[in-house]
Amino acid sequence: MDAFVGKGNGADETAPVAAPDPIEELRRLLLVAEHSQVAKIQERLDDPEIHAEDVSRVLPEAIALRATKDRDLTRAMLPTVEEAILSSVRKDPHVLVDALFPVMGPAIRKAISSALASMIESLNETLEKSFSVQGLKWRWEAWRTGKPLPEIILLRTLVYRVEQVFLIHRKTGLLLQHVSATSGGVQDADMISGMLTAIRDFVHDSFGGSREDSLDSFRVGEFTVRIEQGPQAVLAAVIRGNAPPELRSTLTRAIEAIHLEQGEALANFEGDATPFERSRPHLEECLKTQQRSRAERGAGARSRRAIAFLRGALAVLLIGIAVWSFFAIRRSRRWNAYLERLAGEPGIAVIGSGRRGGRYFVRGLRDPLAVDPVAMLAESKLSRESVSSDWKPYQALVPEFIAARARDVLEPPRTVTLTAGDGKVMATGSAPHRWIEEARARSRAFAGLARYDDARLADDDGRELEALSKAIEGRPISFDLASAELRPEESDTLATLSRDLSRLAQLAAAVGRTVRVEVIGRGDSSGTPEANLAISRLRAERVARALSSTQESGVTFAARGVGSSEPLRPEIDEKDRELNRSVTLRVLVEGGPGRSVTR
Amino acid sequence: MIQKKVCMLGTYAVGKTSLVSRFVRSLFAEKYHSTVGVKVDKKVVAVGEEQMNLLLWDLYGEDDFQKLRTSYLRGSSGYILVVDGTRHETLEKAVILQNRAREAVGATVPFVLALNKADLADKWEVEDSAVEELVKQGWPTFKTSAKTGAGVEQMFLTLARRMAGLST
Repeated sequence: MDAFVGKGNGADETAPVAAPDPIEELRRLLLVAEHSQVAKIQERLDDPEIHAEDVSRVLPEAIALRATKDRDLTRAMLPTVEEAILSSVRKDPHVLVDALFPVMGPAIRKAISSALASMIESLNETLEKSFSVQGLKWRWEAWRTGKPLPEIILLRTLVYRVEQVFLIHRKTGLLLQHVSATSGGVQDADMISGMLTAIRDFVHDSFGGSREDSLDSFRVGEFTVRIEQGPQAVLAAVIRGNAPPELRSTLTRAIEAIHLEQGEALANFEGDATPFERSRPHLEECLKTQQRSRAERGAGARSRRAIAFLRGALAVLLIGIAVWSFFAIRRSRRWNAYLERLAGEPGIAVIGSGRRGGRYFVRGLRDPLAVDPVAMLAESKLSRESVSSDWKPYQALVPEFIAARARDVLEPPRTVTLTAGDGKVMATGSAPHRWIEEARARSRAFAGLARYDDARLADDDGRELEALSKAIEGRPISFDLASAELRPEESDTLATLSRDLSRLAQLAAAVGRTVRVEVIGRGDSSGTPEANLAISRLRAERVARALSSTQESGVTFAARGVGSSEPLRPEIDEKDRELNRSVTLRVLVEGGPGRSVTR
Repeated sequence: MIQKKVCMLGTYAVGKTSLVSRFVRSLFAEKYHSTVGVKVDKKVVAVGEEQMNLLLWDLYGEDDFQKLRTSYLRGSSGYILVVDGTRHETLEKAVILQNRAREAVGATVPFVLALNKADLADKWEVEDSAVEELVKQGWPTFKTSAKTGAGVEQMFLTLARRMAGLST
C-alpha cells in the first residue's frame, strides 16, 4: 500500500507540470474508487478520536488474545491498576467496601470456620457426654412436674428462637420486609422498624466513631435484638433466649445474599417495598427455632434406653427410701428426745448438735457432778456408736451442784444442813464449835461460786456452856443462921457444882475461853447490915475455897459478900430468909474470838 | 404500599407531638410532655389512587441544651416545620432548621410549615408580613390547631401529595 501511495504522490507532483498524461489519466480513471478509499484511511489514521474508537472496538478481544499468549499485558497493567485502586480508596473507601461486601464476608467466614473446626469438634464431644445425663434430668423433671417432655426440653434447651426478622432500608429506616415466627405477627412492624433505626442512629451518634461502628445488639426484657447491617439495608432479628454466635453468620449470610440479589433495588428504593417480597426466603432462613438439636437427639436416644431401666430402679429406690425414711424418722425422733432430756439436765450445756457423715454429734459442757450424757444414750435407745459426743468439763452454777460441792469441802456433821441459793451456801442446824470455825476457813474453797452463810447455825458447845452455866447459877448453897460453915446436907450440891464447873472449864477451853466464877455470899435481913456483910463475905470465901480446891485449872474464883442488899427473894417468911442465907455462883465465860456464849 | 419517612421539626413545645397525636389518633392532651429522643408513629393516607404509609418521626424539640441531630433526618422524604404562633422566635428557629434540613436531605425534599396553636388567636405573635415573605419564597404554609384539629389533616395530606409528586 505504501508503494502505491508513493507513486500516487509522485503523480501529484508531476500533474501540474505537464498536460494530462494519458497513462496518468487512465490510472485516475481506473483507480478512482481506491483513491478515495486511501484518502479515507489516511484521514482515519490521522484523527485520534476515530483511532480511539477503532481501538476500543478491538481492545477487549486484543486483551483476551494477548492474555492467552503471555503475561506481558498483566505486567504492563499492574502499576496502573494498583494506582487506580489506591486512589479510589483514598477518594472514598466506601465505594470499594460496598463493592466488595458481598464477597468479603463469605471469604472471611470460610477462613475462620476452618480454623475453628478442630476446636469445635473436641468441644462437641465434651458436650455430648454431659447432655446424656441432662436428658435423664429432663425426663425426671417432666415426670415430677407433670408437664409434657417436649415442653420441658423446650424450656431447658430452647437456647433461642428468632421471633421476628426485619429487613430495614438503612437510609430511610423504612421497612422493606418482615417475617414473624408466630402466625399473629406484629402489628406495627413499620413503626418498630422506624424506632429501631432511630435507636441505631442515636447510639451511633452518641458512641459511634467511624461510619462502621454501630449498634450490634441490645436487650429488651427477655428479647435480644441483633442487628446485622449491610451497606444499603439492615437486618434486625428479635430473639427470645440466648442465641449462639452461629446465628450471627446466618444473619450475615442473609443480608449478603439480599445485597447481592437486590443491590440495585436497595439503592433505588423510593418507598415501594414490593420488590423486596423476593427477600422473604432469606429472612425465613433466619427464623428457625434453634435448639441444642444434635446434642438433644443424642441424649434422647440414650435416655429412651435408660428410661426402662430407670423405672425399675425407681420402684426399688422408692421402697428403699420408704424403709430408710421409717428408720431415719424413728432415729431422728429419739435423737430429738435425747437432746431435749439433755437440755433439762442441770450441769449439762449443749453447744452444738446435728448430723454429719451419717452420724449424730453433740458437743457441749458438762459439770462432773451432772449425769453422764453418754450413759443417757442407752436410756434414749440410741447406740453409742451412732453418736459422737464431745463433752468438756465445767462448773455449773446450779444451786444443787454448789451445795454438793460445799458438802464435799465442808464435810458437815449430820446436825448441819447445807442449802444453796441466791449465790450463797447456807448452813443451818447446829454443830460443834470447832467444826463451825473450820467450816468458815474451808468455805474459801468455793468463795468464787457462793458466799458461805452460817448465821443460822447454832454452836453446840456454846449451848452446853450456857446450859451448864444456868444449872450452876441455879444452885444456891444454904447456911445456918449466923454461920459460915458448910452444912453437911449441902455436900451433894457442892459435888454437883464441882463436877459441872469441871465440865464448864473443859468446854470453855475447847472454844479457847476461860471461866471466871463469881461467888456471891448473902445474909438474911434479920441482922445488922454490917454483920450481914461480914458473914456474907465469909460464906462466899468458904464456898470459893471449897470449890477451887476441886478445880485443876481453867476456872478462877472471885468471892464477894453482898450482905442483905441483893436478896434472892423478898423475905416474907422463914423459908425466904433461909434461901437468902446462901451463896450463889455467877459464871462468866471470857476471852477468845468468835461468838459470845454469855447471856 | 409506598412508605415515606417524614420528620417533625421545630423548637421545643411548639406542638410537634400534639400534631402527630391529632393526626394519627384524633387526640389532644392539654398536658405538655417533652419528647426525649425520637418517637415513630405511622398513618396510612390516601394519595390519589394510591395508599401511602407515612412514618412520622417525631423528633425532640431543639432547645438550648440539645441541638437537633441531623442524622435523624437521613432518608426523609419530607418534613414538617412546626411553629408556635404565640411565640415569634419559633418562626425564626424554623427558618434556621429549614436551612439545616435542606443541607442534610437536599433542596428537593418537600416540606410544609405549620403555624400551630391557631386556637390561641388572642395570644398570636407571629406577624402576617413575616409569613407572607416565606409563602412568597414557596413555603407551603398552614395555620393548624392540634387542639381543635383545624388544618392538621390538610397540612399532612398536602405534604403527602407533594412527596408523591402530585399537584397540590
